Amino acid sequence: MPIELIIPLLAAAVQSGTPILYATLGEMITEKSGVLNLGVEGMMMIGALSAFWISLATGNPWLGFLMGGVCAAMLAAMHGLVCLGFQGNQVVSGLALTIFGVGLANYLGTPLVGTQGIGFSKVSLPVLADIPVLGAILFHQDVLVYLSFALPVLIWAFFRYTRLGLHLRSVGENPVAAATAGLNVIGLRWLGVLLGGFLVGLGGAYLSLAYIHLWTNGLTAGRGWIAVALVIFAFWRPGRAVFGAYLFGGVMAFQLRLQAMGTDIPASILMMLPYALTILVLIASTMTGRGGEAPAALAVNMEPEE
Amino acid sequence: MSPNPSPASLALDPTAIPPSDPPLIRLEGLSKSFGPVRASHDISFAIRPGRILALLGENGAGKSTLMSMLAGRLQPDSGRIFLRGEEARFDSPKDSIAAGIGMVYQNFMLVNRMTVAENVLLGQEKHFWVSPKAMEREVGELTRRFNLPIDPGAGIWELSMGERQLVEILKLLYRQSQVLIFDEPTAVLTPVEAQHLFEALRNMAGQGKSIIFISHKLEEVLAVADEVAVLRRGELVGHWEAKDIQSKEELANRMVGRTVSLEIAKDSRMPGEPVLRVEHLTGPRLDDVNLVVRQGEIMALVGVAGNGQKELVETVAGLRPPGSGSVKILGTDWKAFFANPSWKESLSYIPEDRLGVAVCREMTLTDNFLLTTRQGFCRGPWLRRKLARQTVAEKVAEFNVQPGRPDMLAGRLSGGNLQKLVLAREFYRNSRLIVAEQPTQGLDISSTEEVWRQLLQAREHAGILLVTGDLREAMTLADRIAVIFRGRIMDDFPVEDQERMKRIGLLMAGSG
Repeated sequence: MPIELIIPLLAAAVQSGTPILYATLGEMITEKSGVLNLGVEGMMMIGALSAFWISLATGNPWLGFLMGGVCAAMLAAMHGLVCLGFQGNQVVSGLALTIFGVGLANYLGTPLVGTQGIGFSKVSLPVLADIPVLGAILFHQDVLVYLSFALPVLIWAFFRYTRLGLHLRSVGENPVAAATAGLNVIGLRWLGVLLGGFLVGLGGAYLSLAYIHLWTNGLTAGRGWIAVALVIFAFWRPGRAVFGAYLFGGVMAFQLRLQAMGTDIPASILMMLPYALTILVLIASTMTGRGGEAPAALAVNMEPEE
Repeated sequence: MSPNPSPASLALDPTAIPPSDPPLIRLEGLSKSFGPVRASHDISFAIRPGRILALLGENGAGKSTLMSMLAGRLQPDSGRIFLRGEEARFDSPKDSIAAGIGMVYQNFMLVNRMTVAENVLLGQEKHFWVSPKAMEREVGELTRRFNLPIDPGAGIWELSMGERQLVEILKLLYRQSQVLIFDEPTAVLTPVEAQHLFEALRNMAGQGKSIIFISHKLEEVLAVADEVAVLRRGELVGHWEAKDIQSKEELANRMVGRTVSLEIAKDSRMPGEPVLRVEHLTGPRLDDVNLVVRQGEIMALVGVAGNGQKELVETVAGLRPPGSGSVKILGTDWKAFFANPSWKESLSYIPEDRLGVAVCREMTLTDNFLLTTRQGFCRGPWLRRKLARQTVAEKVAEFNVQPGRPDMLAGRLSGGNLQKLVLAREFYRNSRLIVAEQPTQGLDISSTEEVWRQLLQAREHAGILLVTGDLREAMTLADRIAVIFRGRIMDDFPVEDQERMKRIGLLMAGSG
């Protein structure tokens, strides 16, 4: 493939990888605190819808973006209530959250289908955008992409260099030990659930505000599930999440381009590619035996004493 | 003093303890019930700085409840705790830690994925920002000051059990705890590690700290404690100076409340046919292992944990295939034996990890019993549940499993009773080869005694491979002893061989 095709493809990979990156990092924070939230798909949909609607109503896309995160965090709070408040089953609650979130967003979003929204457009960064090849791929994007560049570093530093990050990790690894060290396990896990839900919501908001400026039902199209798989692929490390998200973004962008070019391969096969890759990635990461890097107390509720 | 002193609190004779220093911590009439169960009842005692108090009691005597109240994990229903004469209230572990009470739990409270330094400082970090380097430096200074050989940057997952305990002690030292509580601290330690621990306890007591130490092992209580307190059914039945206790037997009698014999009579018998023959077995952690167990004998495999015992046992039990070499069970080759194992008169495995491997905690006693004996209760494809239930009721009564309702969940049993359930099940099968892995770990004296008797009885018809870290257990039960080190059997000899028995310690450390 000639270079003038590859560069736009890679730039598109970064763009379509960005919502997945936000969601993966969000789910990663939640899982690091020991809570498995399979409601990512539902939270992304709610985030996407509320961001779209609020920026449309207020004319302020930044407010919409922020509220996308807040609304998704409110949905995550339901998961927190079930799992942390009542010690409910995390898998069941997460699945319910996905079904509920997707259904609610599609229902409330029906009147908006086809509406042109407002959102973020591409802004070339001065100087950086002029770097050959890299500039065109990384620095001719919208501002939310630039924001997402900083996130993995921030989250990595958060877990390594802050007291709160250390505490959050400890309740995901051994909540009983954390409690005997005097930490508030339930409170810390609430933080993990809400903060994670917020980031997942931002991922959804990116879809409706920057990826396309249009509302369609089923906008997330399984990206939430890909994020869940990517957390495993990334071995719960923010740095690897970047790589995984752009890999998936690349496959998504690639299949769109192939469809647009009109190949003989049926469209449904092409559309299947990212999801087939999800399965392959899960098999590969399980086979390397690194699945053991999951937080030791992931999805384990801490029972109140006696 | 409590308004109505019960006979239990009267047993604490104030003249027995010389009242030189004021007590660091004093309990007054502490009580705690769970529903109808009285876990602690009107417990009063005091401990002065620089003293080591051993707290003894059978499983379920209420030791853990008492300690949890001191650690702030449980709140007493009534009674008071005084710290340096001031009444204290612990609503959470945080309060208790802040008051200077430090606790080392039997199951270490460490985050395995984190480093030593991170564990020591967890919950004690001074600033929002933390630096792994600075943390390691700080903890490194502490290890040098107290001369504890441990690398602050190492991950917990890399450490031995003894080293993990040092990390727990570092936590207490860092927090400058004044009252240190150890819950069965030697249960997972090798004899040498236990000696180091006792030295550390003495040192810390020498610095004016008070130490409470819970144990089942009478020798170590008499060796290390200044005072001994005994709990029975939630009540304090006595509190003495250790030097006033003449012997192990006397202590055991006071603890159980009846006469117990610590020596178990064992007649020697003629070993019969080999039931297990391991030849040149080499594999992960195993290096040319040769071992024969005959019917009618108990072969004790001793060694420091992690020297290949687990791998050998799991191979014999059919959980992992042998590498090179041969394993013959009841005269049949490994592969053929496990291709079609019989439930009866065959092989029984009594695993170390009771809740993880031996039973399912969310299943009833009956269902757990059926896990390995179901073929005996089948008629065609149907399970004869009524018969099974009846058999379980008889068996749990015979093995004294308390409480022994066949329909209760196994997870509700205490460790000792769980082990008795497993023994009842495995012995029901009349197995000819029994592999018992740490069968009395964590059990109290009465339960240990019962388990030992059962094993000796099973020797009548079976050969037993007993894997143990407890040398006393090996010497009490075994006919032969094999010592394993780094996957090799260092030596293998009858217990009557006094000369070689003396060298066990050296052999366990790889020399001799």
